[in-house]
Amino acid sequence: MSVDAAQLPPQPRPDPDSEGFWSATASGRIELCRCRDCGLWHHPPLERCRACAAETRFDPIAGTGSLRSFIVVRHAAVPGYLDAVPYIVGMVELDEQPGLRLVGRLLDVDPQHVEVGARVRAELVDLPPGDFVVIAFRIGEGKPDE
Amino acid sequence: MKQRTPVIVGIGRTAYGRRSGRTTLAMAAEAAREALADAGLDATQVDGAATYQAADSASPMAVADAIGSPGLRWNIDLMGGGNYASSVVTNAAMAIECGLCDTAIVYRSLNGRSGRRFGRADGVHEVGGALQFTAPQGYMTPPQWMAMWAREHQQVYGSTCEDLGAIAVTQRRHAVANEHAVQRDPITIDDYLAARWINEPLRLYDCALEIDGAVALVLTTAERAADLRRPPVGLHAHAEFTGAGGSWERWPDLTTMYSKEVAPALWDRSGLRPADVDVACMYDCFTYTVMVTLEEFGFCERGEVGDFLRSGRGTYGGDVVVNPHGGLLSEGYIHGLNHTFEAVLQLRGDAGERQVEGAEVALVTAGAGPYGGAMLLGVAE
Repeated sequence: MSVDAAQLPPQPRPDPDSEGFWSATASGRIELCRCRDCGLWHHPPLERCRACAAETRFDPIAGTGSLRSFIVVRHAAVPGYLDAVPYIVGMVELDEQPGLRLVGRLLDVDPQHVEVGARVRAELVDLPPGDFVVIAFRIGEGKPDE
Repeated sequence: MKQRTPVIVGIGRTAYGRRSGRTTLAMAAEAAREALADAGLDATQVDGAATYQAADSASPMAVADAIGSPGLRWNIDLMGGGNYASSVVTNAAMAIECGLCDTAIVYRSLNGRSGRRFGRADGVHEVGGALQFTAPQGYMTPPQWMAMWAREHQQVYGSTCEDLGAIAVTQRRHAVANEHAVQRDPITIDDYLAARWINEPLRLYDCALEIDGAVALVLTTAERAADLRRPPVGLHAHAEFTGAGGSWERWPDLTTMYSKEVAPALWDRSGLRPADVDVACMYDCFTYTVMVTLEEFGFCERGEVGDFLRSGRGTYGGDVVVNPHGGLLSEGYIHGLNHTFEAVLQLRGDAGERQVEGAEVALVTAGAGPYGGAMLLGVAE
């Protein structure tokens, strides 16, 4: 059975700087790029630290943060999401470092119940057709299995 | 004025519409020919050419060749967004001033409606670079980025959808007097609020009107301009800034834009102030861009743009006329180069029914979010 490419979301194209991120999510871990020397986090990842030029590696993050802003997407414009509107995308400020942000969908919440500043937790979800795992968020502090 | 001082001596454009049925090369050539005729020059004198594009347009060498230029001594093809709508003009001005060329065409030609649309991601299957972390989430178009930023302004300064609507309503009112504008039917704030959501908190009339068409300018030296048909328009100053690597996710404060850096630099370089500006062609890919840049260029206080426009300070008879042509929201999205066309028209006194009386200084801004530039233009002394 062939899958219509227009029905699939844009697929990431990993590169030498990002492959650690994608191999981590594929293994069920959320890890971001961090300087081995000064400890500064970088997202998107860099081969070397922007502050001290030392080598970087991928380290686990807690996956918690605060909702900096969000949108309710009501106009279908991106392949793979044409039948998904409305959906919510949040910009999350992670607890690890001021300005360290991830963008991801907010899962299973009514737009009426979303507020800037809400505490959120990251969660891994499969990206159709299943070659990659991406980060999404849920409102609240609790772990998914609690 | 020094002999090699660069000036704008001609402007041209095609019809604007939703389905040109033409190539970007054909439209660029038409706009360039019209601009040369406006100036009283012919293509054999064109030895410089510049554009900016997103892999959606004809190259400077192809356009110059198509109109019969004997060849280019200078050309530049900037790959990027509306932030280059002012840089492309000042790059041509610098090339002329330095003697790299004598007469340059600057153009933007796109089938922004019938071809690749900026507001959509049709046919995108795989994404690299920074987009690989956001696009798979269904987040990769400018109206999404801008909505994310606009909400922060609403949180911090208490601005409202009605304030954004005041921008759309004001510009549409201006477009009524512009026969070249693609949308000329007046809208009320109720029409604005009743229109469909694109991405909350932005609605339909918050977004630029994607169209097909081309705009061209001709620049040459003040010495050569002295013998030409039109009064030359000069550049008082230019400034630009790119921060956070151009990232819409890493830029620290979503209530500010590039204009936080560009505005003070522009006022400093020109010796002018906001009160000196008669016409403000504010880059308006979205209403929110106009909101932040009006604040940061100093036309009003933070969070006061709605009141500024509702009280008539941003229109005829007020402090400054904001986008008298209707802007990208109502005239149409020629990626910002139509702002410079309008500024030149106004400064020459050729804007007809929508002429801003006594227009001597025009501000043209370009870009949004983490990257952009701006020019102050005036009738050359």
